[in-house]
Amino acid sequence: MRSIWAVAVNTVKQALRLKIAAVFIVLLFVLLPVMGLKMTGDGTLKGRMQAFVSYGLSLTTLLLALLTIFTAAYTLTSDVKDKQVYTVLTKPIRRFQFVLGKLFGVILLDAGLLVLFSVIIYSITILLPTLLHADNDQIAQVRNEFFTARASLTPVEPDISEELNQAYNKLKQDGEVPAGVDENPIARRNYRDELARRIGLRKRAAVVGEELLWEFNNVKPEDPNQDLFIRFKYDVAVNPQDLSIYSKWVIGDVRQLRLGTSIETPLYSLERKDLIRTFHEFAVPADAVAHDGYLALAFLNVPLNDTVVIFPLEDGLELLYKADTFTANFIRAVLLIFVRLVFLAALAVFAGSFLSFPVAILLCLSVFTMANMSGYIGESYHVVGAQPNGLYSYVLKPLIMLLPEFDQVSPSKFLVPARLLSWSALGWLSFTTVCLKALPLVIMSLLIFTYREIAKVIV
Amino acid sequence: MEYAIETFSLTKIFSDWWGRNRVVAVDGLNLKVRTNEVYGFLGPNGSGKTTTLKMLLGLLHPTKGKALILEGDATDPQINRRIGFLPEESYLYKYLTARETLDFYGQLFKLPARVRKMRIEALLDMVGLKAVANRTVGTFSKGMARRIGLAQALINDPELLILDEPTTGLDPIGTRQIKDLIIELAKRGKTVLLCSHLLADVEDVCDRIAILYGGRIQAEGNVRDLLRHSDKTEITTGRLSPAALEKIKQTLAEERAEYTIGSPLDKLETFFINIVARAQQQAVPTSGAESRTQISDFLSAKTDERARREAILNQLVSASPSDEQTATTDTQNTQPQPAPATPADEDLLNRLTEQVDSKPVTMQPTKAKPEPATSDQPDKSILDELTGRPLPDKKNAHPGDSANA
Repeated sequence: MRSIWAVAVNTVKQALRLKIAAVFIVLLFVLLPVMGLKMTGDGTLKGRMQAFVSYGLSLTTLLLALLTIFTAAYTLTSDVKDKQVYTVLTKPIRRFQFVLGKLFGVILLDAGLLVLFSVIIYSITILLPTLLHADNDQIAQVRNEFFTARASLTPVEPDISEELNQAYNKLKQDGEVPAGVDENPIARRNYRDELARRIGLRKRAAVVGEELLWEFNNVKPEDPNQDLFIRFKYDVAVNPQDLSIYSKWVIGDVRQLRLGTSIETPLYSLERKDLIRTFHEFAVPADAVAHDGYLALAFLNVPLNDTVVIFPLEDGLELLYKADTFTANFIRAVLLIFVRLVFLAALAVFAGSFLSFPVAILLCLSVFTMANMSGYIGESYHVVGAQPNGLYSYVLKPLIMLLPEFDQVSPSKFLVPARLLSWSALGWLSFTTVCLKALPLVIMSLLIFTYREIAKVIV
Repeated sequence: MEYAIETFSLTKIFSDWWGRNRVVAVDGLNLKVRTNEVYGFLGPNGSGKTTTLKMLLGLLHPTKGKALILEGDATDPQINRRIGFLPEESYLYKYLTARETLDFYGQLFKLPARVRKMRIEALLDMVGLKAVANRTVGTFSKGMARRIGLAQALINDPELLILDEPTTGLDPIGTRQIKDLIIELAKRGKTVLLCSHLLADVEDVCDRIAILYGGRIQAEGNVRDLLRHSDKTEITTGRLSPAALEKIKQTLAEERAEYTIGSPLDKLETFFINIVARAQQQAVPTSGAESRTQISDFLSAKTDERARREAILNQLVSASPSDEQTATTDTQNTQPQPAPATPADEDLLNRLTEQVDSKPVTMQPTKAKPEPATSDQPDKSILDELTGRPLPDKKNAHPGDSANA
């Protein structure tokens, strides 16, 4: 262990003294405070803070990711190229210890720099309301909608299986199912999935004058005196003239109305006008939730609109309530970045264990880019995989599974809407990224470096 | 353990990616380096010396054959814990200071911090880099880098020292120091494998040599045996009178012998070292390495039977009532120490012990014969060493230096 530690400390010294890290550190030291003061977002205090945290963390993540790739690939390849391994590996240190020392050195460097810049971002964020002389309303808004960590609940999805079967059978009877689809199980599955998506979308659409009812279970706010937040986004069939939708909402335990029993929990109602295709939030007192955790939202598409209103399937509507503090959420978001850097360090050490520096960098940057568009890549290859294909099943699919999903789990996705990143979610993400994706790379790099010839034959 | 290094048909064949252009770098090499000897591994560029070393150290895989080092595999930490290696260039981390460099390598040997600190200071002092210990290695001259490279090879007090071109880039003083160091380490029971194409270096310090060409050993044996011209005679004396010279010429003429007579010349190396030593005495400042002749104390002396015998003999010899011996006794170290002894000393000691059995003593030329300091003084260095008098200054008396008549 002492040998691994010695190599790790040496790696940190290498990164710092060869000024590899200096470039990135100086950039962040200059850019973060400037961003804090200059970013305006949507003009509100909340918008400015969201923009700063989002861009600050993204920039830090990007620069530290590049630093990790460069440092990890350089430290191993340069030792082989410049032959320092001759003097190191002839000492009582096993090759796997040498590689692990390099990896831990890079991780140590990442941890140090990440803590440093996270503290800077956090401090600027906390100080921004004071620095910008924000008024009390704005401060109250950021306290409720930014300086918090809110759990997210999506409405109970109605069971559409029966409706789906009926719709499919009707299409089949009418001869509208394309030829060959019913016989091919994969094609039939894809066709039914698309049909289910349409049925689901229809259930999230309200024609003029129609009402939509959303039901939530297990709503358990920490404090009954706090507010809940409804976050939603409209899509429309035809754009209205002012690109806005007028609506009426009723929130509470609507079962009390149906059963005609006495009202135990209050029902709230409000009217709104909101821009289409943009996220909006409004607060609802937590006492609207029934004792069994039930809450319903009724949305009315008022006649003023003259268009069909649709709530998108993925993120059209959700209920947010405070579940933790901003600080705790921020720490978990930083740990999420750290997990990402650990994967990149493992990747670069793996590449450096058998490739030259430029080739290793090329490989790492390619994987990094693909990981940042994993959603698109996954969908693209899912289409390819619709047809039986050996290349996809045995080569592409395992590789795609090894690809981390940086775009799907960005820290900004949690901090900007003040959405809770739970410890369990972080634990699962860490497990899949480190144990299932980074560890195989580390094991491969250890095996390659242990059995490869370190020296070249010169004759 | 008879052999510190042993190879069996060691072969390395190099081929390109497609398996073409096969080059036999090392071809069925059977190398045997005995424990406690200084073995010279010679050969022109591309003869396979360094490739052999790399295979010995596990940096290259042999195509065929096997290499044993200290009776094991060099990739085993238990084995390379006992090895010191100086590659053909020092290959150090340029961003570390000299002190940090030694500390890093010391940590790899898991040396306790206290021991590490002691050894680092001793080694820095020994290689003359104490004054620049906090400078980064990247700012060192090639010679200074070589010195710190040597220090890292000694940080673990190795049993076996493998030196690949150790004197490359060193000035004559540095070269002399390294050679003295090798001799001193050999005296302390270390095995040294010296790989070089600087023949003078090898000649001065090695017990045995092998000459490699085309990946094969072309010649191997004792340096003196290989170099001796048994059909010629060399006589070195103090200054002779013209009459005596005339007599000698007459005798040689009668013998019909071809001869040359002249005054011996100093080696340029000796002359250079004297000049620099004089400048150092005058405290002329320098930004480079300082000259040191003292070996670090932590580099352990051998403790085997031979060493014990030598120590007893040395004690017996030095116990003679002599003013000089009394004057030079180390009063700070009263414990009996294994006395350093060159193979030449050992021969002499053996002969002395044989004398007890009333066998005649015959003086033979020895490998590490000490050189007369000046042509008009008799060579008493061996006697001085045996009687405990101070050894002649290493800079002036170097084994292998000889005056040509």
